[in-house]
Amino acid sequence: MRISPVCADEGGAGSVRSRGAAIAVVILGGAVLLALAGPALSGLDPLAQNIGGANMPPSAAHWLGQDHLGRDIFTRLAVGTRLTLFVALAATLAAILIGAVLGLVAIASGRIAETLVFGGYDLVRAMPSILLAMTLLVALGPGILPLTLAIGIAYAPIFAHVARAVWRRESSAGYVAAARVMAAPPLSILSRHVAPNLFGAIVTQAAIVVPRAITTESVLSFFGIGVTPGTPTWGRMIADAVRHAETAPLALAMPVAALSAITLAFALLGDRLRLGSDPLRRGMAA
Amino acid sequence: MTRGFAGSGAALLRHGAVVCAIAVVMFFLIRVIPGDVVDVLAAEGDLSDSEIAALRAELGLDRGVAAQFVAWLAAAARGDLGLSIRFERPVAEMIWFAVPGTLALAAKALAIGLTLGIGLAAAAVIWPRRVFVWLVNAVNLWSIALPTFCVGLAAILIFSIWLGWLPVLGQATLPAIVIGIDIAGQLAKPLHEDLKEIAAAPFVRAARARGQSRATIVFRHLLPNAAPVAIALSGLILAGLIGGTLTMEVLFGLPGLGTVALQAILGRDYPVVQAVILVFALAIVLVNALTDLCQRALDPRLRHD
Repeated sequence: MRISPVCADEGGAGSVRSRGAAIAVVILGGAVLLALAGPALSGLDPLAQNIGGANMPPSAAHWLGQDHLGRDIFTRLAVGTRLTLFVALAATLAAILIGAVLGLVAIASGRIAETLVFGGYDLVRAMPSILLAMTLLVALGPGILPLTLAIGIAYAPIFAHVARAVWRRESSAGYVAAARVMAAPPLSILSRHVAPNLFGAIVTQAAIVVPRAITTESVLSFFGIGVTPGTPTWGRMIADAVRHAETAPLALAMPVAALSAITLAFALLGDRLRLGSDPLRRGMAA
Repeated sequence: MTRGFAGSGAALLRHGAVVCAIAVVMFFLIRVIPGDVVDVLAAEGDLSDSEIAALRAELGLDRGVAAQFVAWLAAAARGDLGLSIRFERPVAEMIWFAVPGTLALAAKALAIGLTLGIGLAAAAVIWPRRVFVWLVNAVNLWSIALPTFCVGLAAILIFSIWLGWLPVLGQATLPAIVIGIDIAGQLAKPLHEDLKEIAAAPFVRAARARGQSRATIVFRHLLPNAAPVAIALSGLILAGLIGGTLTMEVLFGLPGLGTVALQAILGRDYPVVQAVILVFALAIVLVNALTDLCQRALDPRLRHD
């Protein structure tokens, strides 16, 4: 760790970083607000088609205009935000369960279980995540739940390896050795001594995985193997709009802008969390 | 780590095992998919029940999954990847025609990414007070915050629709730039950190004291010592490259493995899906093995143990 020179060097970056965190909070807050209140605000049906209003620019009734089928872009964007955030958060939770929790249980259960389970993670890691999720999704069928599970499996190894790294660091700690000497069962050592220390590492990692899960969901839906056509996630909206981009550019630009803003927000948040979780660099984050 | 020929042999075996395991797992996973290619064909055209049964028998889909696996394995061992069920062409031939497109895009993107990433990192070390340090951070934030999917879509929107410059679809320059910037962002920041540390080392000061030019110091002393960091990042870069290439191909309508994979998955064309996955797994394992070799060649400490 190079402490002093780095601090001196990047002293100015600290303020940029905290501003970044503020930007992230504003974007995420806006997204949550849009997801919760958006559909009620516009009072329109995201699926209602109105061919007469196809490709119309923004108006008092349709704040962001209408897409090629005359559907209200704002309402679709709001419902899409809700679905997209839900899938991404649920998929990350699934990845934590499949990766960190299963991985730790396997580690606690002994050498053979660890080898087998981590061998599985290595297989998953040796595949491009988008290709793996594609294959899994076709196997599981379309829909929100399979989508969540497929993305969860694809990102599970990341959490498994974080969990193992923390476990290895913690298991050499004095209090874990003391618990062992007192013949505490492995699972109780895991839950009472290691898990609390794991929390920060997992949260930091989650901030990296959530935006990737959002992108993966969008790409899969764009490819037409994510959600069913009646479900307006951002990826689905993009897939619909890309063919009509010349006549209804806002229908494409809005979900792309939303996707970019949310990944940016999570990137800034993750950066902040990473610095905040490292006590040696905490001073820099302020 | 005990490394020698025995070490490389063991590593090779492990890499081989991973490829085999992926082939096996994928074979069975794909066959869990409800509905096979015959269902898809039947939905597209009128097929009588007897025709459906005959088609299944001809394709070997009426046999048990285990029997299908043995047949596939035996053929694959002979280098025969089978026939595409939908296109009735040899899978090997389809892959063979798709690979150049993907490789060309990947090579272009990699060339752009490496040039930009290494160039920015080196420039930021040579001229720390100029704009380059800011650029290194900017391109890093860019690659973290903006997925290639978004950038690609934005590029289509801006260049082909709003500016109307060029027919964006079907040409590979724009997607290569999009992926290249992404790679540069992942590479430039860690490389810059590493170069800064090396630049502060006594042997660099000694070189400077001997009156060597900046170019000599950068090319003879700095960059070779930063190579291990760059190579250690190759896994990350490869993942970005593969994911980016797959997405960009479909987005920009380019011929290549990504397009073939998507069509095959949507059409339940099992032999093609298997072959594409195998090709990617082989590529990933090959790069991992090469990374291992390069690290040992560049870092003498890893050679003698």
